[in-house]
Amino acid sequence: MVDQSIAGPVEASASEGDRSGRARIVILLLCLGLAAAVFLSLTSGASDASAVNVIGDWLFGTVPDNAALGARDSLIVYDIRLPRIILGMLVGAALAVSGAVMQGLFRNPLADPGLIGVSAGSSLGAVAVIVLGATILAPVTALLGTLALPLAAFCGGLATTLVLYQVATRRGQTSVATMLLAGIALAALAMALTGILIFMADDRQLRDLTFWQLGSLGGATWAKIASVGPIIVLALAAMPFLARGLNALALGEATAGHLGIPVQRLKYTAIIGVSAAVGASVAVSGGIGFVGIVVPHLLRLAIGPDNRYLLPASALLGASLLLLADAVARTIVAPAELPIGIVTAIAGAPFFLWILLRKRGVIDL
Amino acid sequence: MIEARDVSVDIAGKPIVTGVDFHARPGEIAAIVGPNGSGKTTFLKALSGELAYTGRVALNGRDLRAMKPVETAVQRAVLPQATTLSFPFTVREVVKLGLVGGRSGVLPGEDARLPERALARVDLDGFGGRFYQELSGGEQQRVQLARVLCQVWAPVLDGKPRYLFLDEPVSSLDIKHQLIIMSIARDFARRGGGVVAILHDLNLTAMYADRIFVMHRGRLAATGSPQDVLSDDLIEKVFDCRLRVGVLPAGNMPFVLPQSAA
Repeated sequence: MVDQSIAGPVEASASEGDRSGRARIVILLLCLGLAAAVFLSLTSGASDASAVNVIGDWLFGTVPDNAALGARDSLIVYDIRLPRIILGMLVGAALAVSGAVMQGLFRNPLADPGLIGVSAGSSLGAVAVIVLGATILAPVTALLGTLALPLAAFCGGLATTLVLYQVATRRGQTSVATMLLAGIALAALAMALTGILIFMADDRQLRDLTFWQLGSLGGATWAKIASVGPIIVLALAAMPFLARGLNALALGEATAGHLGIPVQRLKYTAIIGVSAAVGASVAVSGGIGFVGIVVPHLLRLAIGPDNRYLLPASALLGASLLLLADAVARTIVAPAELPIGIVTAIAGAPFFLWILLRKRGVIDL
Repeated sequence: MIEARDVSVDIAGKPIVTGVDFHARPGEIAAIVGPNGSGKTTFLKALSGELAYTGRVALNGRDLRAMKPVETAVQRAVLPQATTLSFPFTVREVVKLGLVGGRSGVLPGEDARLPERALARVDLDGFGGRFYQELSGGEQQRVQLARVLCQVWAPVLDGKPRYLFLDEPVSSLDIKHQLIIMSIARDFARRGGGVVAILHDLNLTAMYADRIFVMHRGRLAATGSPQDVLSDDLIEKVFDCRLRVGVLPAGNMPFVLPQSAA
C-alpha cells in the first residue's frame, strides 16, 4: 500500500494492466450508490410516512406542521425503516463479502455460501435453537440469551464449510465438480435435518420458521441488530486482512506459501470469518441467496480480481443491492410484502446460469 | 548456502526421494538433471518446504523446518513447472504478486516500477495489460519468472545470498528465450545469489551449470562439474539411452547447439 501512495495516480496510470486506479473510482461510485439506496429505502414504503420531514427535523430541527403526524412518521422511520435498512446493509455486505472470500479460498468463481450448503448448515443451527430452545437446548439458550441464535447458525455454517473444504480439496487443489456436488449433498442433509425439526415444531414456532425458508428482512428490530451486528461487523473488519493472502492463493496453495503467505492460517481465518458472517446473516434474515455470487462476479468484470479492492467493493455493492431488493420486496405487492429471498433468487438464478454458460469450458464438470 | 543432508520423501507410503545430499552455493547455478519420474521435482518441493521430508535442510545456515513462510519467502523464490490461475488477473497483477510477502530488496518507492522492469527482463515488454489466461504457455512461464524475480530482485539482501528455485524454467520456451532465461539465472548467480534449476536439456546444462546433480530412481547418481559428470557411461546408465558426448553427427546432418550463440 505504501508504494502506491508514493507512486501517486500519475505513476499508476502509466502502468498498463494496473487496475487499482479504476478500482478506487468504482469504490467511490459504489459509496455514492449506497447513499442513494439508503435514501431511497428511507423514503419509500407501504406507509406514506415522510422521511424527508423526519430527516429535516433531525438535521435542521424543523418541526413539521402537524406534531402528531410527525411523531408517527418519526416512529416509522426510526423504529421500522431505519433498523431494516441497517440490517439490510449488514446482511448484504456480509453475504457479498463472504461470497468473494469463499471464491478466493476455493479458487473458484462459483463458490457461494448459499449454493454450496453453508447457508443450509446455518439454517439448521438456527432452526434447532428456535424449535429446541425451550426443551433440550434450554440450558444453552438460557446461558447465551439472544446470542444463542446467531451462535448456533455460526456453528452450523462452520461445520458445513469445514466438511466441504475437506471433501473438495486434495493436495491444495479444489475440484469444482466435487465442491458443487458435495455442497448439494450437505445442503440436502442439512435441509432434511431441518425438516425433522420443523416437523417437531408447534404452531407458534412454525410461524417463526416460515421466513427461514424464503429469507426476509421483515423482522428487523434494534434488538436484532444489537445481537448480530457486532458479529457481522467483526467478521467484515477481519476480511481485508485476508485480501493479499487470497490474491496469492489464486496462484495455488503451494505458490502462495512460497510467496510467504501462512496458507493454513489464512484458510482457517477465512472459513471462520465466512461462517460467522453467514451464520449471523442467516440467523436474522434466513436464506437470502445469490448475493454472494452475483456481486463479486459483476465487480470482477469491472475492477478485476484483486481482493484488496474486491472485498470492500463487494461490501458496498452487496449492501446496496440488498436494499434495492428489499425496496422491491416491500413495495411490489404493497401493503403485503414479498420475502426478499424470492426477489434475489428471481434475479440471481438466471444470472448464475449466465455465468455457467460463459464459463462452461473452464468449469469442465 | 543451501545444504540438504540425507533427504528422503515418501508420498502415499512410496519412497520417491531417498537419501539425497545436495548443496547450492551462492554465485553458482546448481542443475538437477535426470529422467522423468526420477524425483527431481519432489526433491525441489522438499527443498522449498512444500513437502514433508526426513533428513535436514538448511537455508543460509538455518533449519528450514524452523522457518516461517514469510522468512523463507525472503530467502528464496520458487518457479513451479506450470501455474494455473483461477481468476482473470492481468499480467502486471500477476507479476506484482511477487511482492506480496517477500522483500524485493529495492527502495520502497521503486517497488511500483518493478513489475515493468521484471517484464522487460523476461522479454515481455508491454505485456502488462494483457490477461494472463490469454497468453501462450511459454509466455505464461516467462510471466511467472518475472513474478519470481520480483520476489528476490536483489540477489543479496542484508548481506545474505538469496536463491532462485526453478523447476524446468525453459521447457516450454523457444531457443531464444531459453538463452535469455538461462542468462538471467547466470546473471543472478554472478551478482551473488544462488540458483537451483531442474533442467532437461543437457547442452544448456553443460553450458550454464556450475555443478550438476544427477538423479536416478529417487537417488543421487552422480554429482560434480559438467566436465566430470556428463559421460557416455553415466548417460547410458541413468537415461537408459546409448548416447555419446561430444560426437558430431555424420555427413551433412544439421545440428544446432546453444553453445554456438554469439
